[in-house]
Amino acid sequence: MTGLTLPDKALARAVDSLPDDSLSGTRQAALARFLERGFPTTRLEDWKYTDLKAVADISRRWLESGAVPVDDCALETEIERIRASIDADWIVVANGEVSLPGVVRDGIEVSTYNESSLAPGFEGPLADFNAALLTDGLHIHIGPDASADKPLALLVIDGADSAPAVAQTRIRIEFDAGANARLVEYQASRGAADHYANAVVELDIAGDAVVDYVRVQNRAANHTQTHRTEVRLGDRSVLRYCGFDLGGKLVRNDLDVEVSAPEADVSIAGLYIAGDGQHLDNHVRIDHQVGPARSAQEYRGILGGRCRCVWNGKAIVQQGADGTDAEQANHNLLLSDRCEIDAKPELEIYADDVKCSHGTTVGQIDDSALFYLRSRGLDKQDAMRALTRAFGASIVNRLPIAELAESLAAMVETRLTDLTNGGSQ
Amino acid sequence: MLEIKNLSASTGDTTILDGLSLTVNAGEVHAIMGPNGSGKSTLALVVAGHSEYAVTDGSVTYKGKDLLQLEPEERAREGIFLGFQYPVEIPGVNNAYLLKAAVNAKRKHHGQDEVDAFEFLKLAREKMGLLGMDPKFLNRGVNEGFSGGEKKRNEILQMAMLEPELAILDETDSGLDIDALKAVAKGVNALRDPQRAIILVTHYQRLLDYVQPDYVHVLSGGKILRSGDKSLALELEEKGYDWLREAANA
Repeated sequence: MTGLTLPDKALARAVDSLPDDSLSGTRQAALARFLERGFPTTRLEDWKYTDLKAVADISRRWLESGAVPVDDCALETEIERIRASIDADWIVVANGEVSLPGVVRDGIEVSTYNESSLAPGFEGPLADFNAALLTDGLHIHIGPDASADKPLALLVIDGADSAPAVAQTRIRIEFDAGANARLVEYQASRGAADHYANAVVELDIAGDAVVDYVRVQNRAANHTQTHRTEVRLGDRSVLRYCGFDLGGKLVRNDLDVEVSAPEADVSIAGLYIAGDGQHLDNHVRIDHQVGPARSAQEYRGILGGRCRCVWNGKAIVQQGADGTDAEQANHNLLLSDRCEIDAKPELEIYADDVKCSHGTTVGQIDDSALFYLRSRGLDKQDAMRALTRAFGASIVNRLPIAELAESLAAMVETRLTDLTNGGSQ
Repeated sequence: MLEIKNLSASTGDTTILDGLSLTVNAGEVHAIMGPNGSGKSTLALVVAGHSEYAVTDGSVTYKGKDLLQLEPEERAREGIFLGFQYPVEIPGVNNAYLLKAAVNAKRKHHGQDEVDAFEFLKLAREKMGLLGMDPKFLNRGVNEGFSGGEKKRNEILQMAMLEPELAILDETDSGLDIDALKAVAKGVNALRDPQRAIILVTHYQRLLDYVQPDYVHVLSGGKILRSGDKSLALELEEKGYDWLREAANA
């Protein structure tokens, strides 16, 4: 047993205090597994660059303070602001409480997470920690006739002012065969107290479904997040996924995509922008079990001030997955000499007939471009911001959900202004 | 307008300008010629404020101000324009964005109202028409994927929009076909004005057929070897540079 454990009895008490319902058995089993392993430590290759000590510390203090839900931070203003900024049908989960203020259309069923929501074989320390404390959660079912006129947006927002808090979110979305859907998952937080959000998202995309999915993380500067998305894809399904990480102090996202049906087509794009004091880690794993199928990932990072980002993109092509086409790229722009990027593209290929590529770059602002813009009268900071914006544009421009474009561009611009003005958040 | 006195500049350990003096008055067109490596581009870049070159001696005064104390953007707003020998490609930064930001930075500096999107487009289309440029260039990344000739026309477009008081064109004529050369010359001639000065850095006499200079200077070894009127350019075309260097060494 390694270091990052939580006090057994206090955690067991917290789990026992949850209402006795159809998930009780699942919670106890997950608790037993979590108590045995604890949080992953940096001794594990997958966690080498991201230390969860701070996460364990917040969780411990939360347990010590009684592990009661604290709901003393007014989130309404922020919820309204976010809802008004994007034209979508909204489902809001505020401090774990689900509300459906938007009109959810025909062909879309929304329920709280229950026993039937559980996907088989989904484990791991953070998923177990999540399952052990799972209460509400969301289970969404999108049928083939659901209209995609407006995107469906999930706002998961939490935070507390007086005491450290831990929030567990679990979302499962099933896309029926032939469904055509556009989803936004928006993660936000407010509140002065230390906060740890641990989310598990499961996407089951059936055959011939086409899914555009955008995840936006814009947490408060003192908050931490671990987030894991598990995707399962059916025959000829299409997933266009875009992730934006703009806020947060310590953030770790895992995106695991299982390609177990032929002719699936997956595009993943991501942009992370980190300033002083931030640690943003994105791990992507695409497991090609059958072919032919295509996956492409491109992540870009903009780093300023004293910060650290991690990118690990892994594509596995299993034996027999012939006809796989897998690309991955990661490009980073460093605006200060105090930031660090740990980038690791990985390919594991066990099949013969495959086309795979990977590449990573780390660079700085191009001096000749900077001088060119300044020689035309642009301020050094304006010129830097223009060049930095241009660097991120190749991800922003690929946003598959147009309704999000304006508000996302504004969010990115705010962060770039912070960074080019000196690197603080 | 521009008074360069005894200017020396180096990059790393290499001295490139070595005691250069040059005076340019409003209304004048000067051509600076000289062999490769003589310091022509360095002179242009030093006047524009490139940080790669350290000024080790001498002074540069522009409209009575110590130019060397100004940041590159301040020089631009004060009316200096450098047409680059190798215009930089900046993918993702829109040509229209740059032109508008440049025009407005200058206007703001002089206490004028910024141009709005409508005025800007009108002005840009007018100038592009003059240079025979397709307005679709506005929506492309700055110089991104432009041919050599398109890049040089784009430099002239920026100059036409900014209406500088001192324009320095660094080999804007090199690599141009005859139509592009004429378009560039047209842009330069349109700018000629008793209030403005133009410095043409060039290798060849060809551009000077279209833009008549008042003075021609020959730069060699980081200083001006000889100055004259436009007949000097013709003489150089005929004889090359060696006779001048030999005469200087004699």
